[in-house]
Amino acid sequence: MNVKHTRKPPAGTGASGTKMKFSDIIADPAVRERWEKVRKYFFLRESTYDMTNRCNIRCDGCYYYEGDKQFASENGNPDDWRALMKIEKERGITYVVLAGAEPSLVPELCRVCYEEIPLGSIASNGFKRIPESVGYKIHISVWGNDETSLRVRSAKNLLLRQIENYRGDPRAVWVYTFTRDNIGEIHEVMDILSKNDCRATFNVFSAPVGYTGGLRHTAESLARTRAAMMEVLSRYPDHVLFSPYNVVAHTHAQGLHDLYTCSYPRMNPSTDIGLGRSFRQYRTDLTWDRSAACCVPDTDCADCRHYAAGSAVVTARLYRHGTDPEAFKAWLDYVDTYLAVWVMDYQKGENLLNRMTPPPGFDL
Amino acid sequence: MADKKIVIRVAEILIDELKLEDVTPQTFEPEVDLIDELGIDSMDLTTVVLVLQDEYGITIDEDDYPKLKNVKLIAEYIEEKLKDK
Repeated sequence: MNVKHTRKPPAGTGASGTKMKFSDIIADPAVRERWEKVRKYFFLRESTYDMTNRCNIRCDGCYYYEGDKQFASENGNPDDWRALMKIEKERGITYVVLAGAEPSLVPELCRVCYEEIPLGSIASNGFKRIPESVGYKIHISVWGNDETSLRVRSAKNLLLRQIENYRGDPRAVWVYTFTRDNIGEIHEVMDILSKNDCRATFNVFSAPVGYTGGLRHTAESLARTRAAMMEVLSRYPDHVLFSPYNVVAHTHAQGLHDLYTCSYPRMNPSTDIGLGRSFRQYRTDLTWDRSAACCVPDTDCADCRHYAAGSAVVTARLYRHGTDPEAFKAWLDYVDTYLAVWVMDYQKGENLLNRMTPPPGFDL
Repeated sequence: MADKKIVIRVAEILIDELKLEDVTPQTFEPEVDLIDELGIDSMDLTTVVLVLQDEYGITIDEDDYPKLKNVKLIAEYIEEKLKDK
């Protein structure tokens, strides 16, 4: 992995370089209210699961079909999945992410997971509707307008199909992945999604290890992505689940690991506490490998700006944001956004900070 | 041997911040493992760390979290930090 040495901000120093007592920061009623709202969810402990090695479309840059995991045999036995979920529950896992390759192809396994661990989400291309009996959040991937989807995913009328399947469904969040090539298409896509009262959040294409295709971001495309995100965020406040700090964290010239020190086992040798202790990424044969374990395995860690990674990695850095009032508001907005995207029935509040602020120890 | 006043205060903060039930600062077992036995995770611990920093005017480095395994060790850690002030 080509990862640069990570610069950790000086202890106790916030985004603006000032240091303030945490009790003084949360004395602000709006901050206190948001803090009390989000901290109720500190019990969430996630792991992720590849459900099947099949998919009904094939996308350029898909993380699942990189590395060894795609060759794992498929265990489709609901009893085995139920047994695994029971073990996971005993291990303290309270939140599951069902991903690779396409979980909608195995709805009975998704249902078993939901029956055992009722908090979670499913990453889906949205082509096939997942039954309502599976009460997880459903993250529907969008990689541009329909013309682009046809080109990079060989999927015709994908957005229309997704909307037909999930319009009005409180489980659904559309996840628009900004690649180097589709930045300007967000306006067209958001126009369609908002007219159909669908909510979206943003992801940033993070190249798999060894990826040589044309979707990998450059400094210039990240800057354009940042501008597009900010514009769409202000134009569609009721339909975009994001905050200015999300924009900063995911479009910074430095990736998430450099900014926040990734806490997933793949990059974190410590098994003392947190993700390094509890997180596992299971393959379709129900095995897992600590050295490969993160939310999007086979991503090039140096290029990782993945929304799923940020949800854990930025959130875990409460300490670095907890001594500066602006940094802490930004962090609260980030966590409020992540919970609205990932947890059923959680309602996002208004962002506390409407401008971009830098990550602690870094510039914008 | 950790200072009893600090031990009691740390226990009080843990009980308040993590809303622990059926325990008082006086009955809190100082050597109970916070992670293995109480199920405290990194976000809970960070919350407690931020409050302890305020209370004692010290800085607790993120790298030191693994040392803070129980109330007794936290109290001893605080004492060391206070000596260095």
